[in-house]
Amino acid sequence: MDVIRVERPHEKRGGALLLSALALPGVVPSAAAQSAPDKGIFEVQYLSYRDWQPGRNRMKVDAPAFYTLMPIGDTWVVEGGMVYDAMSGASPLYFNVLSGASIGEYRTAGDIKVTKYVGDQAVSFGAFVSSEQDFLSRGASLNVQYFSEDRNRTWLLGVAGNNDRINAVNGVAPNSKRNSLEFVVGITQALSPNDIVQSNLTYYTGHGYYSDPYKPLDTRPTERQTWAWLTRYNHYFADQDATLRLGYRLLFDSFGSTSNALDVAWTQALPWYGIAVTPALRFYTQTSADFYKNPPFPLGYVDGQNYSADTRLASFGAITAGLTIAAPLWDGWNVALRADYYRQDPDWQIFGSGSPGIQIFAARWFQVNLTKNF
Amino acid sequence: MAGEHEIQLAGASASAARRAAEDAIADVLRIEAKYSRFRDDSVTSRINAAAGAAPVAVDDETYALLNYAGQCHAQSDGLFDITSGVLRRAWNFRRDPPAIPSSAELAAILPLIAWRDVEWSERSVRLPRAGMEIDFGGIGKEYAADRVATILLGHGMRHGFVNLGGDIRAIGPQPDGTPWRAGIRHPRVDGVAIAAFDLAEGALATSGDYERYFDLGGKRYCHILDPRTGRPVTHWQSVSVAAPLCVVAGSCATIAMLRGEGATAFLDAQGLAWLGVAADGTIHPPSAR
Repeated sequence: MDVIRVERPHEKRGGALLLSALALPGVVPSAAAQSAPDKGIFEVQYLSYRDWQPGRNRMKVDAPAFYTLMPIGDTWVVEGGMVYDAMSGASPLYFNVLSGASIGEYRTAGDIKVTKYVGDQAVSFGAFVSSEQDFLSRGASLNVQYFSEDRNRTWLLGVAGNNDRINAVNGVAPNSKRNSLEFVVGITQALSPNDIVQSNLTYYTGHGYYSDPYKPLDTRPTERQTWAWLTRYNHYFADQDATLRLGYRLLFDSFGSTSNALDVAWTQALPWYGIAVTPALRFYTQTSADFYKNPPFPLGYVDGQNYSADTRLASFGAITAGLTIAAPLWDGWNVALRADYYRQDPDWQIFGSGSPGIQIFAARWFQVNLTKNF
Repeated sequence: MAGEHEIQLAGASASAARRAAEDAIADVLRIEAKYSRFRDDSVTSRINAAAGAAPVAVDDETYALLNYAGQCHAQSDGLFDITSGVLRRAWNFRRDPPAIPSSAELAAILPLIAWRDVEWSERSVRLPRAGMEIDFGGIGKEYAADRVATILLGHGMRHGFVNLGGDIRAIGPQPDGTPWRAGIRHPRVDGVAIAAFDLAEGALATSGDYERYFDLGGKRYCHILDPRTGRPVTHWQSVSVAAPLCVVAGSCATIAMLRGEGATAFLDAQGLAWLGVAADGTIHPPSAR
């Protein structure tokens, strides 16, 4: 049988008829603002968090949140969200996986980001505020993205600034401040139609109050720098209708700690009702900060020197296992249910030995997301 | 729109592909409803119903299609004429036993084939004589295939094709980079491929004498009718054309059928890859053999 190869018919002349056919509406994609999303998103989320150590329940967080993304015209996108956390329970005895300076009663946080797409570039401006009884954080960010002509490569340059105010309810270090700047440079490259790789390098520099006012004798440096290198790789397996997601992050902290995180996730589309399941695993290991001292408290404390017994700065390893089930509902609504289990153990530190004398700590999350595409 | 239609997508999640295909199919149905001559409420039927009477207002899309039909008319020296559908009144391919219309019957219809007398502008179109008709056969389905491709691309689809009754538009190769292989039907043996086109992007359309026809006295009488004589074309059994857009491939295939011997020069001048099966079964151009 004859086979005629027509590899690039668009390079054929096509004659006068092609020219007039190009005037037909919608027969070729318009080149304008290809990158700007043309669909909006509205999402509500409910998170339930609970953690425990052997023999005691520690903390409970219930957090409803919403997020929305709205294209405005062809080249503008506005997105933003709010979250409200209600927390109860004690601060963990040894470990505390919740970030933030304190165990407040509630937290309200919101952010907004405006993106303008211009030709091969997108410029985003973002603002962020988070408020607790004893902690106020405000930030702003500016990101510039450059898209290659074929849209297979994206460069990212970003800068963000943050200003925090700490007013611990116990009166330690009243009106303390912390200011930081973060710079990011990154590249996202589509290697093939089924492979995409992303690599970002982030430098953080800050000065101010980094100690934990609720931990006695806690004295940390007033300067902090971190370098973080994050690389992600996604591969789509067409035969299986599945996507493998790999991620690795290496972080150097001027506090003396180094951490490694490896993420593996597999998203499998099921043949029924558009349901997709994603089992995910995260391996994490960190070495301790230079000024971290092992229990018993306050062994190793020297007046005038940096000191912390905060087990978040200890040497340990952790595993997070999660499962997400996502399904389309109707009329553009999608639902996702997610459960995560987290367990950390000093014996799981793989670069050197873990910090002795720390108990195992575990936590679980349940999360429900409802998303509407419009 | 008769025939089998399919959209094949690869390299995307099932749910994303389904959403993309749903949008695409909705647009095909929209075009079908808007331009079908079988529906009384279509734009085509309203224009035809007003033949010899008042102008009918048209929108941008209809104007663009009329404009393209006009270009096809000009490029084919008048052979491609969207008013030639009136010949269906004389040629009934379903009649049993079949009958060849008389010269008198055809002579009565030929004055109604007159694209150059149609009064059309960006705002309206008017068929000047009662009994005149237009239809978008040979353009509409192919135009729909091109729009499907644009919609699928807009959904981020990069691998797949759309096939509307044998008119194919690829949106990108298979996920491993190999092109889609589109077979060319043997004009005389149903279900047998006579050749194939490898298509990574662009379109392939075929016009043939086997879609609607009857055989009488050892001769094939097909539905592709020469507007000058009102009689079926006979030079080709089928012509397949590859082009960047399906609407170009489809109209060039039809024009090639109408031009007969002149098809080679016409298609070569358009710079398009093509394959024709002549009445004697030989394959053209010779380089494709």
